Amino acid sequence: MSAIEIRDVTKNFGSVTAVVDLSLDVPEGSIYGFIGPNGSGKSTTMRMIVGISHPDRGSIRVFGEEMSARAPDGRTGYLPEERGLYRKMTVSALLEFHAALSGARKPQASVNKWLRRLNLSEWGPRRVDALSKGMTQKVQFIAAVVAEPKLIVLDEPFSGLDPVSAESVREAILELRASGTTVVMSTHDMNTAETFCDSIFMIFQGRKVLDGSLESIQDAYGADTIRVRAEGGATRMEALSGVEAVRDLGQVQELRMRRGADPQIALRELLARTSVAEFSVTRPSLEDIFVRIAKPAEMEENAHA
Amino acid sequence: MRKVLLIAKRDYLSAVRTKAFVFGLIIAPLLFGSGFIVVGLMRARPDIAERRVVLLDHTAVAGPLIADAVTRANREQLRDKTGRQVMPVYTLETEAARPAEIENQRLELSNQVRLRKLFAFLEIGPDVLTSGNGLSWYSNEGGTGEGRPWLSGVIGEAIVHYRLAQSGMDSVRIGEALKRVSLESMNLIQKDPRSGRIESSGRKNEVAAFLVPFLLAFLLFMVVMGSAAPMMPAIAEDKMQRVFEMLLASATAFELIAGKVLAAVAVSLTSSTVYILAALFALNALSMFGLAPLAMIPWFLLYLIAEVVVLASIATALGAACGSPQAAQSLGIILFAPVIIPMMMLSPVLQRPDSAFATVVSLIPPFTPMLMLTRQALPAGVPVWQTSVGLVGIALFSILIAWVAARIFRVALLMQGKPPSLPEILRWAIRG
Repeated sequence: MSAIEIRDVTKNFGSVTAVVDLSLDVPEGSIYGFIGPNGSGKSTTMRMIVGISHPDRGSIRVFGEEMSARAPDGRTGYLPEERGLYRKMTVSALLEFHAALSGARKPQASVNKWLRRLNLSEWGPRRVDALSKGMTQKVQFIAAVVAEPKLIVLDEPFSGLDPVSAESVREAILELRASGTTVVMSTHDMNTAETFCDSIFMIFQGRKVLDGSLESIQDAYGADTIRVRAEGGATRMEALSGVEAVRDLGQVQELRMRRGADPQIALRELLARTSVAEFSVTRPSLEDIFVRIAKPAEMEENAHA
Repeated sequence: MRKVLLIAKRDYLSAVRTKAFVFGLIIAPLLFGSGFIVVGLMRARPDIAERRVVLLDHTAVAGPLIADAVTRANREQLRDKTGRQVMPVYTLETEAARPAEIENQRLELSNQVRLRKLFAFLEIGPDVLTSGNGLSWYSNEGGTGEGRPWLSGVIGEAIVHYRLAQSGMDSVRIGEALKRVSLESMNLIQKDPRSGRIESSGRKNEVAAFLVPFLLAFLLFMVVMGSAAPMMPAIAEDKMQRVFEMLLASATAFELIAGKVLAAVAVSLTSSTVYILAALFALNALSMFGLAPLAMIPWFLLYLIAEVVVLASIATALGAACGSPQAAQSLGIILFAPVIIPMMMLSPVLQRPDSAFATVVSLIPPFTPMLMLTRQALPAGVPVWQTSVGLVGIALFSILIAWVAARIFRVALLMQGKPPSLPEILRWAIRG
């Protein structure tokens, strides 16, 4: 069953169209990663899922209920991209307020549990403005999940967190998923999207360009990528037979092959030129796919500018 | 409703737990009332320093006559019944005017006034005793100085007596015949609707009749300003800190604004309760509890709630529309218009509470709380139909403003960047 059903949704802000004819299904109990360049429509889509803004056209159903007719009922927790909390309240009082507002049955007990869970217990009596940026972010994460909603929408949950804090938030999200919570999260970190999310949705210029599991997305592109580690680095790799584009990652180069091109020919040409330490034919990484989609448009925009 | 109460509770506690609230509770009446306090202190301690006045006399007759009359009146009125000196001693010196060098004489005397050697000089023209014209007062007194009006009365009376004596009439007997009568102000007679008896209503306390409505209006003004004014920059700041986006996932924009308005009402009721209790204790301590307008307190609270709902709704919408607390402060004039305009109308309404002007302006909804309250507190009261129409009007107006404000608030909350123009705000109000 789908936790979220988005059908033909379009959203405009004045003359700017933020989302165009978007349809998407998010299965219950999954972690769905939203990726896309800045300004592509991720946050707008998330706000519409939460019910903060409404589509100009189309419909969004959350747990089967039309969002336009649904008042906030505590079943959805939301961590916005722009962080903001009442800074003069104590951490505990603030979280209890959010918990009560989201319908938690025992706000104080829930707050204490989550403060312990994210190693913030001793910060409970302190004011929010005394916290570091990372701690504030963890507090805001708790505010989003403290009422243990069935759906949590997290806009860039790991940005600004140190690796230890990011790990504890990651573990918390996985625990929530294990208990049946559906998680929608956006990220600019392709590695996180690849390793953490059950499904990935990419939005670009307001339109859906990718949707599905990492496997299915990569399958759609096929094994068209060669990873090479060769002496002399990326020198004249683009001159090899069948190579369409070269992505220099420093020590390693990724060569995208033309459809039907034979990688063995490229390997022979390369061996004739230099010694090769590593050569593998693989499917493109999510980051590579992202760049393939986003870069041409960016270059075109820059050319017009 | 549960969410509205939660938001109201949070906002209320965060407002009243601040030092600024406690400080404002004490300081606001002192600041707003400092003018009255100064006037009261000045009345209690009048200026009794000696005042030297030179009479520059063109007649050789009027000078001594005026000096005698002023000295006599001064001696009679110098002290009150308790023996306390309540006015300055006037020392008058007569100087003959020299027409050939009158300009120099005036300049010399003016310089002495500037050097504070003289309080003033009075030039007595040649025709003063016959035509009454030609008395000129030169001083550094302000427009509301008391010296000129007091002397004017005494000198006028002296010259009338002089003229009567010159005509062969007995000025003393005529003075007695011309003695003014004073009107004693009484309350209107009324019939007790239960017993049917006609009740004597006694002498009207003119000071109380003015002070009670004025102070009620003033208290309303002060409490409304104190509870609504901080809201606009506070909401703009919360918006700038991006506090609302997360809250909107748990509560609707209408629940947010309703909670905030309810908190403002609770803050205003807290302040009012403190002020009203303090006033009642003070009146009791001064054995003046009879002056307490107890019957007006429910009306005061009713009008206060209506006015705070209107102003807090406007403050919330404008605060959300602003990009920063500074921008919000610049819109203060729009917010305070519903209390400042009726405050400016208070004087004509107090003077003629039953006039067409007073009736019409007190029925304009945003002005109703202050002006209807003022009129109701006056002894004449207000016809029931007017209070009914006024109440219905302000109730409907409050609901309308809260509804429009909620529409603006909902759109404005998530807007960032350049503050919206007035037409944009109006468009949000209409389209939501």
